[in-house]
Amino acid sequence: MIEFRGVNKWFGALHVLKDITLSIEPREVVVICGPSGSGKSTLIRCVNGLETTKDGDLIVDGQRVGDPATNMTDLRAEIGFVFQSFNLYPHKTALENVTLAPIHVRKIARSTAEAAGRELLARVGLADKFNAYPSELSGGQQQRVAIARCLCMRPKIMLFDEPTSALDPEMISEVLDVMVSVAEEGMTMMVVTHEMGFARKVAQRVVFMDAGGIVESGTPEDFFSHPKTDRSRAFLSKILRH
Amino acid sequence: MLENFSFRTIAEYLPLFGHGFLATLWLSVVSFAGALAVGIVLCAMNLQRSRLSKVPAKIYIDAIRATPLLAQLYFLYFGLPRLGIVLPELVVGILALSLNSGAYIAEIIRAGILSIARGQVEAGIASGMTYMQRMRLVVLPQAFRVTIPPLLGQAIVLVKDSALLSLISVSELTRAGQLLASDRFMPAEGFITTAACYLILYYGLKGLAALSGRWLGSQPMRSRT
Repeated sequence: MIEFRGVNKWFGALHVLKDITLSIEPREVVVICGPSGSGKSTLIRCVNGLETTKDGDLIVDGQRVGDPATNMTDLRAEIGFVFQSFNLYPHKTALENVTLAPIHVRKIARSTAEAAGRELLARVGLADKFNAYPSELSGGQQQRVAIARCLCMRPKIMLFDEPTSALDPEMISEVLDVMVSVAEEGMTMMVVTHEMGFARKVAQRVVFMDAGGIVESGTPEDFFSHPKTDRSRAFLSKILRH
Repeated sequence: MLENFSFRTIAEYLPLFGHGFLATLWLSVVSFAGALAVGIVLCAMNLQRSRLSKVPAKIYIDAIRATPLLAQLYFLYFGLPRLGIVLPELVVGILALSLNSGAYIAEIIRAGILSIARGQVEAGIASGMTYMQRMRLVVLPQAFRVTIPPLLGQAIVLVKDSALLSLISVSELTRAGQLLASDRFMPAEGFITTAACYLILYYGLKGLAALSGRWLGSQPMRSRT
């Protein structure tokens, strides 16, 4: 479903992605972790072309990202992206946020989109917030709207870029619960997160990145219990200490 | 002092001031509409990646902002006929105001668009919107709110700048004051009446600004994300 073959990327002189090779199957949930600055966010931002790559191949849903022959807006419509800072549209209500792209990108009739939007907002526990503006919602509620906004496009792939990092601790689980339910429905997911409970629960694979490269990958059980490299051991000891 | 001040003469000249008031009002409205059009085009050119479109817009904006409006007006009024283009005074005046104010408005709109967080644009991109859809549905509605107060400020400047058109004998408010001053040798009466009329226009625009502010205040504000 998503395939990186020898992908490299530079920010100026900085080599941020080093020869990434990674293949993600349909319905697979992959958690990407690693120290800050290791290139995790850049990696998933490449998948929907928010970042461009220098060389190597990146094939998503059978199409080559960055190829002039690939219609990127069509491809992006198939890929949901959840941001660390939510990025809801502040001038739109929760329901309008959820239905905007389905109506204008998918060209779905407004009434159909709104029915789907209400159903999805109810599913993420916001049945009473259809007409609330983002500024009237808590961080956890905003992030759940953001997830519903992606789901309303009926995507084939969902990407999460540190979805709980900007949240107060008591709001993290309400967002993770929604993500778990999405994963359990068989969505193909790439999730940048340090929430190891989430990884253990739903991920088939954990990929550990450091300094722009993939250092190690394996099942959550293996990775957490028997990290193979010094760098992953050092990282795990830091995030699991508290 | 006031015994020399002739209210009767002012009353006598009121129809002339009424005419001037309306002239200033409508030529300001037309010029502002023109300035908005110029500003939107310049701003769009300035926001493109291509230097071919960006550089001319930047040079134009700099040239307008660096030179006095009076010089621009005289260039159009005296210069264009020498180049074989003869236009009526009123058209020259409206053209000068539109071209001048447009440069400032381009910068106001650009600031409004650039004030929209990068994350908003990325959310639009990620959901598969085209550039035009992102602009229309996400960026411009938010930029519009930020832009209204400085645009009204620019409108007030434009109304006062329109006084310069009296120098190319467009009959507007300042011209009415000049006529009263020179016909009857009463500069105090003439220009105070002119000033009072500008004050009325100013308060009209200020009221409009307050109204739009109240309307914007009742709308949901940008969230701090």
